[in-house]
Amino acid sequence: MAEPSVSGTSIPRLDGPAKVMGRAKYALDLDIPGAAHGVAVRADRAHARIIGVDASKAEALPGVIAVVTAASVAPIDVRFGHISRDHPALAVDKVRYAGEPVALVVAETRRAAEKAARLVRVTYEDLPAVIDAEDALADGAPLLHEVHPGRTGDEGFHNTGADALEGNLCAANLIEWGDLEAELAAADVVVEGEYRYPMLYGYAMEPYNATALFEEGTLTVYTTAQHPYMVRDDLARMFALPLARVRVVVPYVGGGYGTKSYTKVEPLAALGAYATGRPVRVALSVEEAIFTTRSDGAVIRARSAFKSDGTLLARDFDIVMNSGAYSDNSPLVCAKLAARAFGPYRLNALRVRCRSAFTNTTPASSLRGFGAPQGNLAGELQMDEAADRLGIDARELRLLNVVRPGEEILPGKRGIDADLAADLELLTESLGWGEREGVGFGLAASDAGAHPTSTALVRIHGDGSASCAIGATELGQGSRTVLSQILADGLGLPFEKVSIVQSDTGVVAYERTTGASRTTTLVGRSLLAACDDARRRIRELAAEYAADVQDAPGGVVADGEHLSYGAVIRKWFGSGGEVVGVGAIRRHGEFEKLPPFWEIGASGVAVSVDEETGRVVVEQLTTVGDVGFAINPLLVHGQDLGAATMTLGAALSEELVYDGTTLSNPNVVEYRVPRVSDMPAKIDQILAERRDGIGPFGAKGGGEGAGNTIGAAVAAAVGRLLGRYPRELPLTPERVWRLAQEAAPDRETEAVRG
Amino acid sequence: MQILSDFQLHRPASLDEAVQLRSELGDGAALYAGGTELLLALKMGVLEYEHLIDVKRIPGLNAIEVQGAALRIGATATHRDIETSPLVAEHVPALSKLARHVANVRVRAAGTLAGNLAFGEPHADPAALLVALGATVELLSSGGRRSLPVEQFAVGAYETELGEDELIEAVVVPLPTAQTRATYLKFQVLERPTVGVAAVARDGDAPTVVVGAVDEKPVRIEASDGVEDYVNAARDAVDPVDDLSGSAEYKRHLTGVIVRRALEALAA
Amino acid sequence: MTMTTTRISGTINGREVTTEVDNATLLLDLLRDLGLTGAKPSCEMEVCGACAVQLDGLPVSACTTLAIELDGRTVETVEGLAQSADALHPVQRAFLQKSAFQCGFCTPGMIMSAKALLEANPSPSRDDVVHWLEGSICRCTGYESIVEAVLEAAEEMRNG
Ligand code: FES
Ligand code: FES
Repeated sequence: MAEPSVSGTSIPRLDGPAKVMGRAKYALDLDIPGAAHGVAVRADRAHARIIGVDASKAEALPGVIAVVTAASVAPIDVRFGHISRDHPALAVDKVRYAGEPVALVVAETRRAAEKAARLVRVTYEDLPAVIDAEDALADGAPLLHEVHPGRTGDEGFHNTGADALEGNLCAANLIEWGDLEAELAAADVVVEGEYRYPMLYGYAMEPYNATALFEEGTLTVYTTAQHPYMVRDDLARMFALPLARVRVVVPYVGGGYGTKSYTKVEPLAALGAYATGRPVRVALSVEEAIFTTRSDGAVIRARSAFKSDGTLLARDFDIVMNSGAYSDNSPLVCAKLAARAFGPYRLNALRVRCRSAFTNTTPASSLRGFGAPQGNLAGELQMDEAADRLGIDARELRLLNVVRPGEEILPGKRGIDADLAADLELLTESLGWGEREGVGFGLAASDAGAHPTSTALVRIHGDGSASCAIGATELGQGSRTVLSQILADGLGLPFEKVSIVQSDTGVVAYERTTGASRTTTLVGRSLLAACDDARRRIRELAAEYAADVQDAPGGVVADGEHLSYGAVIRKWFGSGGEVVGVGAIRRHGEFEKLPPFWEIGASGVAVSVDEETGRVVVEQLTTVGDVGFAINPLLVHGQDLGAATMTLGAALSEELVYDGTTLSNPNVVEYRVPRVSDMPAKIDQILAERRDGIGPFGAKGGGEGAGNTIGAAVAAAVGRLLGRYPRELPLTPERVWRLAQEAAPDRETEAVRG
Repeated sequence: MQILSDFQLHRPASLDEAVQLRSELGDGAALYAGGTELLLALKMGVLEYEHLIDVKRIPGLNAIEVQGAALRIGATATHRDIETSPLVAEHVPALSKLARHVANVRVRAAGTLAGNLAFGEPHADPAALLVALGATVELLSSGGRRSLPVEQFAVGAYETELGEDELIEAVVVPLPTAQTRATYLKFQVLERPTVGVAAVARDGDAPTVVVGAVDEKPVRIEASDGVEDYVNAARDAVDPVDDLSGSAEYKRHLTGVIVRRALEALAA
Repeated sequence: MTMTTTRISGTINGREVTTEVDNATLLLDLLRDLGLTGAKPSCEMEVCGACAVQLDGLPVSACTTLAIELDGRTVETVEGLAQSADALHPVQRAFLQKSAFQCGFCTPGMIMSAKALLEANPSPSRDDVVHWLEGSICRCTGYESIVEAVLEAAEEMRNG
């Protein structure tokens, strides 16, 4: 393929004008004629048998159309779940977490539905509840699922540890090679510790909402989903409909970050529509969103063994994730956390045991980097602790052990498609490592891209312009713009002559997911394949009139004459017409080896600490965007800064706190996400473009990587200032103050010694 | 989603009318000025009222003026009115600065100082400084007017001396002398202050130090013997509880730190 | 018979609006019922600014403002700023130039808050911008581009 001319430039976002004018329509803004409103009645306790639901008062309220329960829609099986079909949209027999929907009130107005929902009386018989993940895995713990949910059998989730699951074990993964015990015995230094990563709420600013309607035997849902095709699968299973009879449409989405992966609120809306025959909208509040999905908290026990010269010999991780009441995507997070804990380093031996536990809390699922920030906290902090113990510079220690381009970090997987050592040099230089205090940094390599199934549809129109129909969702990351750039280059057309339609399963080509940083890379490739297919078709048409046909930008050269696509199409059809190209990639050929690409994290910070109050101020943030080739550099910077900022929240303030069985902070008043004043005075964003990715023009994905190392980096920076490394996030002022107290005696001793 | 229950709206055109409504409707009515705290509580269903008395539109009630030796801040003056008032900046700059850092700009544009005091939210900024400045609230009812020091007006969490038939007409701050120094310093992690310390030194006297946001109401620190004395006295005087802003132990420590810093700022 | 509705008239984006509203109606719901969906509900607790509109020039949380506040007053929403993409307000232009948004859900509120700032203070320092936007959350961008956009808009408006 020719060198791109549209890709590689920071072309202004296609969605810009609509968004700054307030005209961009989100699912919440759609005006669906005749829509009624559904409001969920939610459990007020963590674990209880449902004795009865008395909806009589609610039903008597003016404007109330129906009160829907799992029993009232029988024989519909209200359970959903892409990995395990274990999640009832409306509780069946018992509730497994406080906040779980028990009934859905459908009314003419949202106000009426809300009022009525408060009048539904549910009687319960309380059951013992378990909130802590390790408690849940202990013998005799209250059981959440009496019958252990199986797996749906989706091939893409084959690695989600389904064997030997029992009790409250939601998923388990083991990665193991080498002789761990021998390596530990041979080590000069073994660093050991227990690390804690909080449960988080992603706070995409548009809370989950969906509007569903049945029409012509087809269920149509307008929703905030990142993966419309995955939602389609769940809804088809629930209502026993052919895939062709379920249409999922996703307009603009107010933030995703993984939190809108997979099915959330769509079944509620669909059940409401099914029960009432009306279009039904279910729009959650932030509080309800927090009771819908959070991310998996993790406790990580880790050991890292080194030779005195700094050679890393072996690592051992024992991880327990708190995954909440239902599987959602936690089994996949479990697999990813296992693969992302030990870092891009050479190892003689490794053992990672990662277990995901059901608890009586909000179901957990993906959040930006899924698994990586949790694992990286332990993995990278141990590199820093080891460096201190060994008396080796923390950067040199990493350079000594980091894998070089092409080397494997997981046997049998794709070798590393990045130059991490070079990234680390860029990063540490920007941060002034060695020249100033309070610096922390780290590396990460994530097996990204998910299962490489992607299809694309390209249409070349009678005037030579082109459009594509893509299943990937615009979440704000800029996929409309980036994919349009790739389309323009794929056909040799100017940007002004292409357009894109996305995320309507009734119209666009199949896309497995919009997550794992895959869109630019994988959709970009299927889109280029569709461009090639369309060009092939154009050549075929032209060949009916010419002996020699060659590709040319925006058309062909036929017997020496340049013909635009439009000219070829018009000539062939005589009147009207278009050419359609399809592209597909699958786990085959160059995509056979997983992961399709490694997503690199190389970010760091410089911080200062007020030891008296414990307040941490981030003075500088540096991100190195190792994306192979930046199709749109400005958008890559945006993704990197956004990802890093989200993890700064986890590092410093974000944490869902349970008090007994009650969530103490189900709102963004007491759950603090980063504000503008939290941003560092200095932000340095570097691009490393080595064209070493499998995506278009050497690109590979970004959007998560920049955040993956931030938790450990902040902890390391604070630890260096205090003389003791924190092992638990977030570093609230109180935690830092306590750490400073604990470290004070050590420092005094050192001062005496020194 | 949060919804409000239905209520009747009353829009008195004058203070007299407002007072009249107040005595007629009693505790079935809430005074509605800025509404920033009230509406949140109503939306969450923590409070419910059949009547709202909207005093916002009473002419002149938002005036900020100097009367005699006092700065008089009308009941419907918003935090932003105070923040941007040249009179406040001239006479009580510490109050301007405090107002500038209350919640966020939207809350400051709507919320009122009087409403803040009347709501009695313990984790708030203004009360501590007002107590330290010796401010009073002017209360009006059909029975007449009375004036109460802010220190007495605040009783506890969401509890004040405001009678069912009363309303706040103004917050009155005695004008500090030219030699008076005053400061308010806070430490905040979430939306509300964890600790707020007001320190006022009049004419070379030992400073008045008041700690806000830690206890259910502002705590006056009795000490006289230099910074450390205040710090220790403050740590002893407060009675913090564990919450999402921190443990009691941490907040006690933090109180000492902020008291010290406030006094240092005062001396600087 | 108790009355729980009120007849109000005020100006929204330059147009006179007279209507009978339930007292309990929030300004945000009134606006959205009128088809003005630019302002968004998010936190619903005055902390995020997604619902920010200007009420007599100052930014307010429409999620926690009664619709009756419109009576006799002026509300401006993002929809009132420009009728076409060629005639954008300087703040909108600056947001485009700096790519100061991603998902865009916070953007209408950000833009209205920023516009209110520049009307109150045409020459804000960087600290002034940060202080003013402290109550406006964006989960996507990391804020840097937003602050830059506001400063750029200020300059453009001053040079006018
Ligand atoms: S929705 Fe109104 S401030 Fe957040
Ligand atoms: S652009 Fe998504 S929240 Fe700001």
